[in-house]
Amino acid sequence: MLAPANAQNQAFKPPRTADGKPNLNGIWQAMNTANWDIQGHAAQAGQVVSLGATGAEPPGIGIVEGGEIPYLPAAAQKKKENYANRLKLDPEVKCYLPGVPRATYMPYPFQIVQSGKFILISYEYDGAVRTIYMDNPGPAPVDSWMGWSAGHWEGDTLVVDVTGLNDQTWFDRAGDFHSDALHVVERYTLAAPNVLNYEATIEDPQVFSKPWKISMPLYKHLEKNAQLLEFKCVEFVEELIYGHLRKQPSK
Amino acid sequence: MRLRALAALGAFLAPVWLLGQQSLPVTAKAAASTATAKNWTPPRTADGQPDLEGVWTNSTLTPLERPAELAGKEFLTAQEAADYVKRLLQQVSSDRRDGGPQVDVGRSYNEFWRDRGNDLVADRRTSLISDPPDGRVPPLTPEAQKRVEATRAYMRDHATDGPEGRTFAERCIAWGTAGPPMLPGPYNNDVQILQSSDHVVILNEMIHDARVIPLDGRPHVGPEIREWMGDSRAHWEGSTLVVDTTNFSSEYSFRGSDANLQLTERFTRVSPDVIQYEFTVYDPTAFTKPWTARVPLNKTADRVYEYACHEGNYALTDILAGARAAEKRK
Repeated sequence: MLAPANAQNQAFKPPRTADGKPNLNGIWQAMNTANWDIQGHAAQAGQVVSLGATGAEPPGIGIVEGGEIPYLPAAAQKKKENYANRLKLDPEVKCYLPGVPRATYMPYPFQIVQSGKFILISYEYDGAVRTIYMDNPGPAPVDSWMGWSAGHWEGDTLVVDVTGLNDQTWFDRAGDFHSDALHVVERYTLAAPNVLNYEATIEDPQVFSKPWKISMPLYKHLEKNAQLLEFKCVEFVEELIYGHLRKQPSK
Repeated sequence: MRLRALAALGAFLAPVWLLGQQSLPVTAKAAASTATAKNWTPPRTADGQPDLEGVWTNSTLTPLERPAELAGKEFLTAQEAADYVKRLLQQVSSDRRDGGPQVDVGRSYNEFWRDRGNDLVADRRTSLISDPPDGRVPPLTPEAQKRVEATRAYMRDHATDGPEGRTFAERCIAWGTAGPPMLPGPYNNDVQILQSSDHVVILNEMIHDARVIPLDGRPHVGPEIREWMGDSRAHWEGSTLVVDTTNFSSEYSFRGSDANLQLTERFTRVSPDVIQYEFTVYDPTAFTKPWTARVPLNKTADRVYEYACHEGNYALTDILAGARAAEKRK
C-alpha cells in the first residue's frame, strides 16, 4: 500500500514552514473503519439493537500490514474475551482518552499545530491532546493515556517515538489491546498537498511475538473555515457510568 | 497528572488582610515594571509573530476581588505586601499541626498538591480585577441573580442525588479556573502556548483543555453551535495577541455569566519571563457592567503533563455510592 505513495513522495516537494520543515499544519482525518477493527472485517450488526442500521459496524480492508496481529497465545485468548465483551470493556464507550495510535484513526478529525519548538496534536474526540517534544525530553516521567512523545525529523518525515503509555487503551472497538510495555514509533510523511502518510510500528513483548506495523493515508480537511469543534463526551457518559448510583436509579 | 487530590476543590483563598498603618500611592516597583514593558522588544517566532511560546504559570496570592478591608486601596506598599504575604502564607497553609493526628495528616496531604504561589502580583495591586476601580465583580443583573440562586439551591438540596448536584469540576466537564478566562486555581496552574503561522494553541493543564484558535480573521461559528470553552478567534494588535470568544454553552457559567458571554483576552509579553494577561467580560444580561482583570503569566521551566480527570474520577463514584450506602443505613 505504501509503495505507490513513496514513489509519489519522491516527486512531491512538501510545502515548508518558515523554519524550513515540511509543513504538516492542518486538520486531518483517516478515511477508513480501523476504529471498528484494525484488521480486515466484513460489515456486521451492531451491539445495541435499538440503534438498528445506525449502530451497525461498517466493513473495512484493514490497516495491519500483512493482515495478522502477532499475538502471543495468552494474549490472543484475551483479545477474544475483549471482543466478546467489547460493549462493556472498550474504553471509548466510557469516553476515556484514546491513546496512540488509536487517536489517529478514530472517526473524528485532528489538528496538527507545528511551531519551531514543539508540535502539538489536538484531537476532536474527548479534546485529547499531546505535545510532541522536538528537544529530546528524556524518558517518560510517568505512564499516561496519551503517552510521552519525542519527535525528530528524518529527511522530510516526522518520526515520533511514543513511550509511557498505560495499559488502559485499546487499538479499536474489536478488543485489540496492549500492555504498558507498548512502544509506538510513528512516521508522518506528506505525500501530496492534502495527503499525509501515516505509519506506526507497534512493539510490546508482553502481548506480541514480534513488532508489527499499521499504515494509512490521512486526508486534509479542505472545507472553508474547517475547524475542530468541541466533543467533550464526559457529559454524555454520566448516565452510563453513574446512572445506577442516582438517588432515583434511572433503570 | 491524573491525580485528583484535593478533598475540597471549592476551598479557595479566603484571606484576612492585616495591614500596617501607612498608605502610599503606586509603588516604585509598579512604575519599574511599566518601564520594562516600554523598553523591551519581545522576541519573534520564525514567522515574525511576537513569541508567546512556552509554559507559563498564573499562580499568585493576589485574590481576584479586593477584600472589603482594603476598600479604596488599589496597591500595597512593599512593606505592607511583605507583611501580608507572611501572614497569608501562614493562614492559608493547611499544613498546620493543631488538629490532632488524623486531621493534620489530611491537611498536610492536601497542602502538598497546592500551587498557590508565594507572592503577590508584581505591581502589588490588591485585586486581580483592575476595572471597575473598586476591584470587585460588578453586581449581577436581577435575572442572573435569580438564576445563580436557583443553581445554588439545587446543588444544596440535591448534592448527592446524581452527578448534576456536583460541580462541573467534580464531574470533569469544565474546570472553573482553566477558563476561558484563565485564573489561578488550587493547583496545576500551568498553561502552554504554541504558535503556528495561522493558529495559536492555548493548552491548560487542567483537564487537558486545549483551545486551537484561528488567526486568519474568519467569522465565528453559527449561533447554533455552543461550546463549554466557547469559540475563539485571535488577531494581533501590535505585540498583543487579542482573543475574542463567544458561542458559550448555556450550561457554562463564569461567576454568573450566561450564554451571552463575550470574552476578550489580551496577551502581551512584557519581559522575557512575563506575559501580561488581561481579560474583559462583557455579558449585559448577567453583569450590570463589563469588568476586567489582569493576571501575570510567569514563565516556568515545567512541562504540562496529562491531567486525565474523568479517567481517574473515583471521587464522583464514591460520593454518590457513599450517599446511597448512608441512605440504606437509616
